Amino acid sequence: MTPDLVVENVQVTSRGGQVLLQIPRLTVPPGQSLALRGASGAGKSTLLHVLSGLIRPAKGRVIWGGQDIATLSEDARASFRRRTLGLIFQDCHLFEELSAQANAALTAAFAPRPDRAGVRQGAAHWLTTLGLGQTGPRLAPTFSGGERQRIAVARALAANPPVILADEPTAALDRTNADALGADLAALAGQRTLIVVTHDATLAARMTRQITLADGHITEDSHA
Amino acid sequence: MPDLWAALPATTQDILFAAALLAPGLTLGALVLRGLRPLPLVTALLRRFAPVNALFVVLIALSIALGVGLLAQERGLRQGSARAAEKFDLIVAAPGSEVTAMLASVYLQPSDMALITGPQYAEIAAAEGVAFAAPIAFGDSHRGAPVVGTTADFVTHLAGPLAAGRIFTTETEAVAGAYAPVGLGDTFTPAHGQGPAAEDDAHTGEGYTITGRMAPTGSPWDRAILVPVEGVWEVHGLSNGHAPGDSHIGPPFDPALMPGTPAVLVKATGLAETYALKTLFTRPDLMAFFPGTVLAQLHGLMRDIRSAMSLMAVLTQALVALSVLTGLMILVRLIARSLALLRAIGAPLRFVFAVVWAYSAALIGAGAVLGLAAGWVTARAISAIITARTDVLVTATLSWPEVHLVAGFVSLTLILALLPGWLAVRRPLLADLR
Repeated sequence: MTPDLVVENVQVTSRGGQVLLQIPRLTVPPGQSLALRGASGAGKSTLLHVLSGLIRPAKGRVIWGGQDIATLSEDARASFRRRTLGLIFQDCHLFEELSAQANAALTAAFAPRPDRAGVRQGAAHWLTTLGLGQTGPRLAPTFSGGERQRIAVARALAANPPVILADEPTAALDRTNADALGADLAALAGQRTLIVVTHDATLAARMTRQITLADGHITEDSHA
Repeated sequence: MPDLWAALPATTQDILFAAALLAPGLTLGALVLRGLRPLPLVTALLRRFAPVNALFVVLIALSIALGVGLLAQERGLRQGSARAAEKFDLIVAAPGSEVTAMLASVYLQPSDMALITGPQYAEIAAAEGVAFAAPIAFGDSHRGAPVVGTTADFVTHLAGPLAAGRIFTTETEAVAGAYAPVGLGDTFTPAHGQGPAAEDDAHTGEGYTITGRMAPTGSPWDRAILVPVEGVWEVHGLSNGHAPGDSHIGPPFDPALMPGTPAVLVKATGLAETYALKTLFTRPDLMAFFPGTVLAQLHGLMRDIRSAMSLMAVLTQALVALSVLTGLMILVRLIARSLALLRAIGAPLRFVFAVVWAYSAALIGAGAVLGLAAGWVTARAISAIITARTDVLVTATLSWPEVHLVAGFVSLTLILALLPGWLAVRRPLLADLR
């Protein structure tokens, strides 16, 4: 079941006490596709990290499906990410010594035993869906930049998470590959919540909602 | 409990002790890895930094090889020197230093010794319980090889049947040790003395012909040339121990005509007789001793050195273990980004911890196995050098003490590898991810 997201009075500060992010309230209904936009340093990635539990906010609540992940332990947040989130990074972070299939099924290495087969099947399914079906045994370095990012997308989707969080997924790609990946990501919305940090206007335009941040604050929230 | 332990066979004790040493590390490993399958990721990390990992394994292996080689070599040397003295049941010599007499008669080290007289030798040879009494007359050499006067009985006793040729039957014939620098049929004139001070032309006109070659004995006698003791006396211008006209060689000797000999090897008819003969000839004008006992006393004196060597080996391993720990912490920095990714996509801390520990264990295990092998090769190489230089056959082989050393090292480092694992899960996730 896809959870809704409620962010309440979240504040993230630097070690020196400087406020990096201040979000009084933000709600994202299940299945919505959302682009986070803004200049560099505006707080987009920080917000994404707060939503994924990689950063624990100094104040406030980050509630996914009724559960405030800001109060969870690190292991519990990791478990939440494994079960609920699919993360896609700007740098696709592949294990270069592993095959496409092994990279896509990476979470099977630490998933509970009953879930492992499902993750592997999911990885194979998404590699095929993303046009890499025949390339499973090939090692990661043999793929182009666009293909590598698709492997990372397959990894994020392999466990069939209800939420996808992507941080600048097309930043390292050329226009053609960026458009193709953008289309793939947009197709995920509906059944899944999709939150994408991007400078790419084309990708942002594929999302049903766009939020703009500046200096750690939401300055614009628009729906398509 | 101590009685039960003492009742166990030595090999069982060694196996149990090795298992006890390994148990902490292996138990820890079983606990850390329980229910997890980090192997594919560990393999990937090992391959990613293959040159660094290989260097790390080699460093561990070298340190282990050093400790293993040291222990194996010391034991090999001790066993080799004991084996070389095995055939020398009882030595009788003029009163003096037993150590000097042993070094001269067993290990053929040059030394000046007073002589046993003809009547004394006759008394020894005729004593009850003596199977044979062989004079050992040293002092000459040829091309660096000692030329030793003795009897045919001694040659057979020392090396068994000849490997080639026949035993000497005249005063001018000789039998070469297995590795003596002469060949069958060679004729040579001995030099007087041994080493750099040997006088090559002191015995001009005298000579021996090689008629046989002994089988290897693993002792300095393998490089010696054995001649009838009568020949030694004759080349020195002395009586040959027999009456004029008596052409036979070997005992019995005429006590009045026998010039004397530095030492006599006594072979008794039994163990009890050996002890009885030692008692009999331990007296003011003679000295009787068991070379094995003297050697054991020497080894006993060196026990402290041996203990120090063992302690050094253990301390070296402890220092290496600390170095391994430091190295592992550096390696963890290399793999920090991959570990951060695992944490970001939901790996539990215990899994990340297990990856780091298993990665460390793989390096330690590979280093230990390689080190054990390298230690064996090193010990064999050093043994060959020592054998070539001393002619004492030293065969250093791996044994339980080395296995125990490595088992202790592996166990200790596996425990220490918890620390890099702990540090890895405490690293800042986001900073590493970037």
